[in-house]
Amino acid sequence: MKHNEIPPGSLTLLILRTLSRHGTLHGYEIAESILQASDNVLEVEEGSLYPALQKMLVNNWVKAEWGVTKGNRRARYYQLTAAGRKQLAAESSNFERVYSAIARVLQTA
Amino acid sequence: MSLLRRIQMLLHRKRFDSELEEEMRLHMDLREEEQRFAGATPEEARRQSRRDFGNPTVLRERSHAAWGWGWLESLVQDIHYALRSMTHAKALTLMALLSLSLGIGANVAIFSFLDALVLRSLPVTKPAELVQFGKGDEAGVTGDYGDTTLYSYPFFREFRKSNTVFSSVAAVFSFGSEIHGTLDHSPSMQKLTTDTVSGTFFSTLGVEPAMGRFFRDEEDRVEGKFPVAVVSYAFWQSAFQGTPDILNHTVKLADTTFNIIGVAPPGFFGIEVGHAPDFWVPMAMMQSLPSHHKGYADGFFQSNYIFGRLKPGVTRAQAEAETNLLYQHIVRSFPNADLNAYNLSHLQNAHVQLTDLTTGRSFLRSTFSDPLKILMGVAALVLLITCANIANLLLARATTRTHEFAVRQAFGAQRLRLIRQLLTESLLLSVAGAVLGVVLALAADRLLLRMISGGPDANLLPLDISLNLRLLSFTLFATIGTAVLFGLVPALRASRVAVNEGLKESRRSNSNSRSPLSKGLVIAQIALSLVLSVASVLFLRTLVNLTRVDTGFPRNGVMLVDIDSSVLGMKGEDPRMVAMFQEIEQRAGALPQVRAASFAAFTFAQGSWNGTLNVPGMPFNEKANVKHNVIGNSYFNVMQMPLLAGRAFGPQDNAASNKVVILSESVARDYFPPGVNPIGRHIYYGKDPNPEKRVEVIGIVRDVKFGSLDEPRQYIDYYPNPQHPSGYGTLVVRYDGNFATMSAAVQNTIHSVNRNLVIDHVTTLDRVIEGTMVNQRLMAQLSTTFGLLAVLLSAVGIYGLMSYLVGQRTGEIGIRMALGASHTGVRWMVMREITMLVVSGIAAGIVLTLLGGQLVRNMLYGIAPSEPMSLAVAIVSLTTIALAAGYVPARRASRVNPMQALRYE
Repeated sequence: MKHNEIPPGSLTLLILRTLSRHGTLHGYEIAESILQASDNVLEVEEGSLYPALQKMLVNNWVKAEWGVTKGNRRARYYQLTAAGRKQLAAESSNFERVYSAIARVLQTA
Repeated sequence: MSLLRRIQMLLHRKRFDSELEEEMRLHMDLREEEQRFAGATPEEARRQSRRDFGNPTVLRERSHAAWGWGWLESLVQDIHYALRSMTHAKALTLMALLSLSLGIGANVAIFSFLDALVLRSLPVTKPAELVQFGKGDEAGVTGDYGDTTLYSYPFFREFRKSNTVFSSVAAVFSFGSEIHGTLDHSPSMQKLTTDTVSGTFFSTLGVEPAMGRFFRDEEDRVEGKFPVAVVSYAFWQSAFQGTPDILNHTVKLADTTFNIIGVAPPGFFGIEVGHAPDFWVPMAMMQSLPSHHKGYADGFFQSNYIFGRLKPGVTRAQAEAETNLLYQHIVRSFPNADLNAYNLSHLQNAHVQLTDLTTGRSFLRSTFSDPLKILMGVAALVLLITCANIANLLLARATTRTHEFAVRQAFGAQRLRLIRQLLTESLLLSVAGAVLGVVLALAADRLLLRMISGGPDANLLPLDISLNLRLLSFTLFATIGTAVLFGLVPALRASRVAVNEGLKESRRSNSNSRSPLSKGLVIAQIALSLVLSVASVLFLRTLVNLTRVDTGFPRNGVMLVDIDSSVLGMKGEDPRMVAMFQEIEQRAGALPQVRAASFAAFTFAQGSWNGTLNVPGMPFNEKANVKHNVIGNSYFNVMQMPLLAGRAFGPQDNAASNKVVILSESVARDYFPPGVNPIGRHIYYGKDPNPEKRVEVIGIVRDVKFGSLDEPRQYIDYYPNPQHPSGYGTLVVRYDGNFATMSAAVQNTIHSVNRNLVIDHVTTLDRVIEGTMVNQRLMAQLSTTFGLLAVLLSAVGIYGLMSYLVGQRTGEIGIRMALGASHTGVRWMVMREITMLVVSGIAAGIVLTLLGGQLVRNMLYGIAPSEPMSLAVAIVSLTTIALAAGYVPARRASRVNPMQALRYE
């Protein structure tokens, strides 16, 4: 099966989007939903989530609380903040713009 | 806000790590479970989940990096590494720390004085707006026309009223702050430093009282009506224990009880650095103070400094122009102005200069400013030598670490990273050195303050030399500067390694066996050391020259007792006072082991009363100032000053008899026509032939030193106490035996005549003379210390470099020996190299010395900066030490066993 790398910088966008859709998730759940949503096209070194999540914590785009999973283990649950929602809007529209520009270039070729 | 979160993360690193760990483990476990669920073997599921996840260490690093503390992390790593490598080279580290702490400590110590005395602004509001009239380089009272340093109080009031350039002006009495008084109703007198100031003093400086209030305008407008005083914060704390009801306390000066109305803010001392009054009283009370000056309303009782605050937008030049217009106008308008041609010409030539008062005025500054600047330069040179030394040690070490760096570069370490790490080592060294240095400096500062204050029994000057922000930033600057200075070149050198070459070289590199850089550093060290050695020899010889100066009187066996008779409230000319002082002279003179005792208005270096002499029949010379002294009958006996002609004063010279004077030999020689015998001639002191000031010359005494040891010949004349009963300053006693017992006996005698007399201070003449050499002693001792330090450091530098070079050439030397070179030959070969270094260093040093000599010319006495003898002494001693330092490695080289050396290869 052929994997494609995630375009640099879009991991944050994917995490933001995932959290905005599902509310509160822990890291594994975030990774799972990204994988599912991308139909296994996007190869994530799953661990990369964690540095990315840390960066988002620093920027106050997400907040984290410890909770308990169904399997009764401690897990850190992430949730969007207001600033995170703004960031998501900004990054999404930015992504849209770039994506459609690329699409236009490809169409005229 | 994100910074706050980041700092929190930093503080809870352990928790952060373990939480991240737990989070990632959960992730992998869940993944593993899923794999097993999908049918993988446990083993495979585990491997797969781990592989997909990635390297946890790297991830943790990256998570950390997200928090932006990466630089800190690597700094901590660098520091760890630096500490490790420093403990590997214990000798080097110790050596570097020791020399750095001495070097930085010396700089910090000197800088703190330079800052306190020369650089620091006054602790008042906007000090840069303050200017002073004149240079403030005289103190006292003068009636001369055209004096632009000292001003009368009426002048100040007129000026204040009519000027348009100052937002506020103030006046301070220029002398006589040391008085005695009593606090509240205490039975005993104590010394109270009291400044007499205009009512505008505090408001002009823009300070607010810590308690109570400052003077009101009327308290300074009506003479003698408002006995009020402001106390300094420090004195409130020390003498009144900071009592909160300070405003109910009083201080009694002479017969007047002053109410304390306010407390000055902490740290406030007025405008004179190094002079911290206990009290301030308004100018209108000057006649109620012990000295009872009557000049409050006299336009020519010129005794005050004036300073002012410029209005915003007014330049100093504008203010100066208006000040001079007003000056001419006000002085001429006083009712008692005597506008004869002589006075007018002086007045016309007078120009008031407005000088900057940002840093205040200071008698200490004029004394110590130059020495401190020179010492600062010297300390900086010592630090440079230290840097050269450490740079050399690090260079030597860098070559031994070539291998290590090659390995690290082979493993992909960036060169920049290596340089950064080496600089961290340097910085760590210099920071540790600086910390030690500051500790040293604090100790040295106490010692220096003692020295500057004038020795072990003097009162410490009130100078604030504690650590402050400016001092710490100076230290920081010096620290980083030194680290870069000594660390950068070795770091660049060490990291510039061709990897495969470095790996091949097992033990050392020949890339810089000639090491021109190291040699250059050593040559520079020797050159600078020579400069400092010559300086210390010059200053030492200056000190010796001064101690050998012929003062004109024997220095030993004379006691000086300062008496404050103003506390009695009698006028000086009161016959009871005259009688009392004569009785003290007689009784003290009659004590066993006392050879003679007498009063004198002025003793050595205790100020003077100057004036002109008018010798009828000779042209009047207004430039020649004579120092007048008023003395008791036995003064010349006490001082053992030989009478060259005529007679000394005796009981017949009393208030009612013919007024007489005794001249010093220079006055007799220069003021009279050649061949004329001055004895019996009548002269006038002052310019005008005023019959009240007519005196008859009855004797001639030998010239003596009057104000300082290095002064040129002085004109002095002497008047008998009863005929000029103004200043009973000091009782001078020539005694034998032990100072302490004799001093007690003399004090008892004084109190047996009048027990209310306050004895202010008892000392000896030779101590006073010592005190006048403070500056030269300071220069001599400090420059010697620094010079020795420099030489020592250079010796260590030479020893280090030669040992290293010899070590490098062990193989070569072994071969030479195997081929038949003698021990002596080998020793000479090494010594030749050292000699070359020393000779080049000394040659460069001579040039530097001759260039820098002019800087210290003014601080030398009886010796020129280019004096060959001093140069020779310095060269010989430095050469000896340098060659000795190099001889040890040379001898070691000649002891090389050829077989061992070759096997060693």
